[in-house]
Order: sequence, then C-alpha cells, then structure tokens
Amino acid sequence: MIAQKTASLDYGRLVRESRKLRPDGAHQNIRVAILSDAASQQFVPLLKTLFHENCVNAEIYEGAFDAIELEALNPASGLYEFLPGVIVLANCTQALRSRYYEHKGDDFLETASQRVQRIWDALQRHSSARVIQCNYPLPYERQFGNYDLKVPQSLYSVTAELNSRIALYARQRSNALVCDVEAIASYLGRKHWFDERLWAFSKAFCHLDHLPYLAQSLVEMVLSSMGRVVKCVILDLDNTLWGGVVGDDGPLGIAIGPHGDGEAFYHFQQYILSLKKRGILLAVCSKNNRETAIQPFLENPDMVLKYEDITVFVANWENKAGNIRAIRDTLEIGLDSMVFLDDNPFERNLVRELLPGVIVPELPEDPADYVRAICELNLFETSSFSLEDTARSELYRQEAGRRELQTSFTSIDEYLQSLEMKIEVARFDPAAVPRIAQLIQRSNQFNLTTHRYNEAECETMMRDEANYLPLYARLSDRFGDHGLISVVILNVSAAEMEIRDWLMSCRVLARGVEQYLMTRVVAVALEKGVSRISGHYIPTAKNAMVKDFFAQFGFEKVLETDGGSRWHLDPTAYRPPTIYITEKQRTS
Amino acid sequence: MNRDTVIPPLNAIFQDVFDDPSLEVSDDMTAPDVEGWDSLSHVNLIVAVEKEFKIRLTTAEVRGLSNVGDFIALISRKAT
Repeated sequence: MIAQKTASLDYGRLVRESRKLRPDGAHQNIRVAILSDAASQQFVPLLKTLFHENCVNAEIYEGAFDAIELEALNPASGLYEFLPGVIVLANCTQALRSRYYEHKGDDFLETASQRVQRIWDALQRHSSARVIQCNYPLPYERQFGNYDLKVPQSLYSVTAELNSRIALYARQRSNALVCDVEAIASYLGRKHWFDERLWAFSKAFCHLDHLPYLAQSLVEMVLSSMGRVVKCVILDLDNTLWGGVVGDDGPLGIAIGPHGDGEAFYHFQQYILSLKKRGILLAVCSKNNRETAIQPFLENPDMVLKYEDITVFVANWENKAGNIRAIRDTLEIGLDSMVFLDDNPFERNLVRELLPGVIVPELPEDPADYVRAICELNLFETSSFSLEDTARSELYRQEAGRRELQTSFTSIDEYLQSLEMKIEVARFDPAAVPRIAQLIQRSNQFNLTTHRYNEAECETMMRDEANYLPLYARLSDRFGDHGLISVVILNVSAAEMEIRDWLMSCRVLARGVEQYLMTRVVAVALEKGVSRISGHYIPTAKNAMVKDFFAQFGFEKVLETDGGSRWHLDPTAYRPPTIYITEKQRTS
Repeated sequence: MNRDTVIPPLNAIFQDVFDDPSLEVSDDMTAPDVEGWDSLSHVNLIVAVEKEFKIRLTTAEVRGLSNVGDFIALISRKAT
C-alpha cells in the first residue's frame, strides 16, 4: 500500500521528525539493511520517519560505505548478523559512472551485470531476506549526443541496458524486487536529481530534496511485501467516472467517449479497467437510484467499464460511509485495503472522518488529471502478481452476488433453494488428482483426520478398487462454479465401511454439501450390505469445527482418547436431512 | 543582504540542522565547536542555506570556508 501521505515529503521535516521517534508497541516491526555505494546515512532518518508514519518500527542496518560486495559475499558480515527482513541495494549512477570510466576493455556491461547477479546469489545463499535492488537513473552526460544510443558501449547505453538486465533477472527470482529509481528521477527531472557538488562533498545519493521520494518508494515496497496492499477501488459515478449527472443527462447524455468532453473520463475508465485486469476489485458507491446508475453501464456503448467489471454495485441515497462498510463486509477485506475515488470534497471528507482506514486521495479539479494524480500516489504497489490475481475479480463477483441474494430472503432454506446448487460426485480420476492433492494439503478446518496425501498416494487409492472408494465432489450454483470442493475417502475392504478421510473447502460451508455426501455414503453402505459405518475424528489446532461432525448424523461415540474419537453408525438407522442440492449428470 | 539580516535565519538553520535550540552562530565558530558537524550534516547545512537564501554555492566557495564568519560573508555577498 501507498504510505499514507500524511505530510509533505520535505527532507528537513523528515529529519526533524526522526529525532522525536520512539518505538511504538502497537506497530509492526521490520529490520531493513541498506547497502550503498553512496552515503547511506542520509537515508536512515527518512526511512525511520516514513515507516513510523505507516505504523511500522524500522530497525535499520547501514553497511559500510561502498562495501556492498564485501558485506554480501562474507557470510560472517555484520549484514547477516543483523538478520534483515529486507536488504536494499542502493546503487547510484555516479558510482557506476566512476567504475565505467576506470574500466579497461569493452566488457563493462558484462562485468557490471555479472556483479549484480553475484551479489544477489550471495544474498540468497546467506539470507532469506527480500532483496530490493535500485536501478540506475540514466546519466545526463553523453559522449556522442543522440548518437549515444547507437553506440552500445556509451555510458548512456550501458546504463539503460544494465537496467533492462536488472529487470530481467528480477523476473526470474521470487525474492528480488527492483526499485525503479530511474522512474522517480526521470519524473522529478534528472537535471535536478543529480547534484555533483553534494556527491563531491559527501557522496550524497542525489540532491537531498529528492531523497525523500526514493525513501518513500522503498517504504512502499516494504509495506507491500508485508501485505499492506490495496485490494479494491470504490468509485463514485457522476463527474468521477463520467462527466455530468446521469439522473439529469440520461445514460446517453453523459460525457464519456474517445473524443471531446468525455475523453478525460474515457482515459480514466481505461486506467481503472487495467487495474481490474491486474486483480484490483472495483466497487461502485453512488448516490443515485440503482436503476438510473446502472443504465450507462448497460446502454452507453462508449463506456469502457461494463456492469460485469464491477464486483459490488451500491447505488442508493444512504450515506457513503455506511455503504462503504457494506462493501467491506461483502468483500471481507480490510478498510485499509480500499481506495475511495470521488470528485466531491464533501463525500471525501465524510469518508475520511468516519472511516479513517480508507485511503481517500484528493482528486484534482480537472478530470484530465485524475490518472496522473492517482499514479503520483503509487497506490497500487505490490510485491507479487500471478494468474490468480487476474481471475480474482470474477470469484469475488460471484460471492457478492450470492450475498446480495441472501439478504433478500428471510429463511435460509429459501435462500439455499434459490441457489440452484448442482453437485457432481465421482471416484478419483487422473485429471482431478492434482486439485485433489492440493485440497488435501490446504484444508485445515473442515478436515476430520488431516492425513496429507500427495498425488502419488491419491493415485494409489484411485487404482485400488478392492480396498478404497475415494470420492471427490464439485459444486456449482446459479452464480458460478466452485470447482472441486470436497474429498471423502472410504475404506471398503472389511465387513464394516470406514470413513478414512473427509475434508471440504470452507468456502462452501452451510450449503448442505456434507449432508448430501453423507447420504451418498450411507447409500453405498446399504448397497454393499455392510452393517456398520465407522469414522474417526483426529483433533488438530485448527479442526475443532468438525469435532461433532459425526454426532449430527446420528453416529454413536464408541471411544474417546487424547488422540481423537471413534464413531459408529448403523446405516439402516440413518435419517437423511433435507438438502437443496441436485446431482449433476456427468457430461463426459 | 547584510550581516544583520543573514544572522537570524542562519541561526535558525544551525539550530535545526544540529538539533540544538540554544546554538548561536559566531564568526570564529568552526566544525569542531559544534557537536554533530561532520561532512554529512555539512551537506544538510549547505542545502538548507541554499533553500533559505535562494542562492547556489559552488564547490570552491563551500571548500573555501574556514569558519562561520566566512559563511556569513559569503551568504551576504550572494543573497539579494
């Protein structure tokens, strides 16, 4: 998450504040090592203050000046003794430049890029810390003018190429992140970033006015790797997502589209959509009639955002703080992982006042500057990105749809019925085994015995028809597919049938899945003519939820010890409960 | 700018940079007289002075300072 922009990024202020800091017991703690070939001392007060303003006590280790390699390669160095959680490699362009000019031969780029990898390798070998490598602001000095770009060994070309390689290496390593110092320097202006006098006096990394921006960026990276990330953007509609008021101008009369008045909003929507595609959830919170608010999403062809892109859509005349709380409850995420974007200062202040955790950026008056204002705050810093992120929005949308429905029913039975749940139960098959093994590894709460079988063990049971009936279940409903959510493994070798394992994803609790499956299990037992079904509950730190699992189905407890309880059921005595799930016919 | 207009804001800068609200600059003051005056705080001092008086000091000017009196004279000469 973006560090809260509580006050200005003024070097003097941050240094002054740092003198007053005392560790706060309520804060999280982090140990950060900073290794630099510039002076690292000036970073320390900035980092301390900025971390503190984000409720983190930072302990900071400074490596000796220009001793990155020494510290990294020596397993007995002070760096490793410090046990850092994060190691920042603050390389600077001036130091690179000195080495470039002193280098003999044409292989400077190779030498420099191998050095980066050598240092990363050593850090990874001797520490489990996350590594943040600073890349290099491009130098202002040119030997060939514009022709520099055509000469691969020019300082400019070498620096640019080294930055590319650093990015490439970082993509191949999960523990390495790149702090894009070049982006910061270029955006602020490289003309003012470099100060050769301060470099000559004390090896200052850059002009001190700019150092807080770099420190801020580093803090944001560390916070995101501590899990402080934005997960949801809540959007106002009129004059935020489009120009004008839909209630007055109509769904086709609002300003939105690739030309003219609507262009700024069009670009803003494109940016917001790109956030959704990378896993940020979108919610709408608007003071409007719901039908009116939805119309543009359905009817205006120039809208970039469609109704399906919005995970939770709230439009009513209630106050926005209450509505944001409802959005939070629907998505089950923290208020501090939500950003609220609204052109109206009254609404912004109301939300700031009533929901202090929510991030509420000032929006500029001119909508053409919306995207820039948001990007300057770097709100969406992250330290990971996977395919799962891109699908998250859809998963949440289904869940939100279910909840919306739930609130409109008075009885749970009515609700379950309306879900139109379909289940598919089958013996383990090769295509399903990877997911089965994954569920077996991950299920902690709804898991009666917590045996952790791997894929090979699952396949063995799959093939052993004489002894095992290993079942999995998939569930879907009118809002979407839950996938493979439960595993029941029966031992059928003896005259009695034993429930060896029973586990289920907690996402489908209280839907009747376990009742459906138990009815199936009893049916199997009756078909085989066994006189008794036995089951076992083995307690762990996490599975107390299912300690009375067997009791609810009429099983009798026959044994209880510290290692668990043993249960028996006469299958002819079983009374099936009411279930609102129907069997889905297998298509294959 | 003359000495008398330079000294009050310069005092404030010294107090801030060296975190000592009782600090008063004097002509014969040098780095060893002030706790914490090293090459790093020196840079903080230069940058704060440049910002306050809206001037830019060259490397030679900074290197040529032998005491605070020189500094006051330099600022008085360059600041308008």
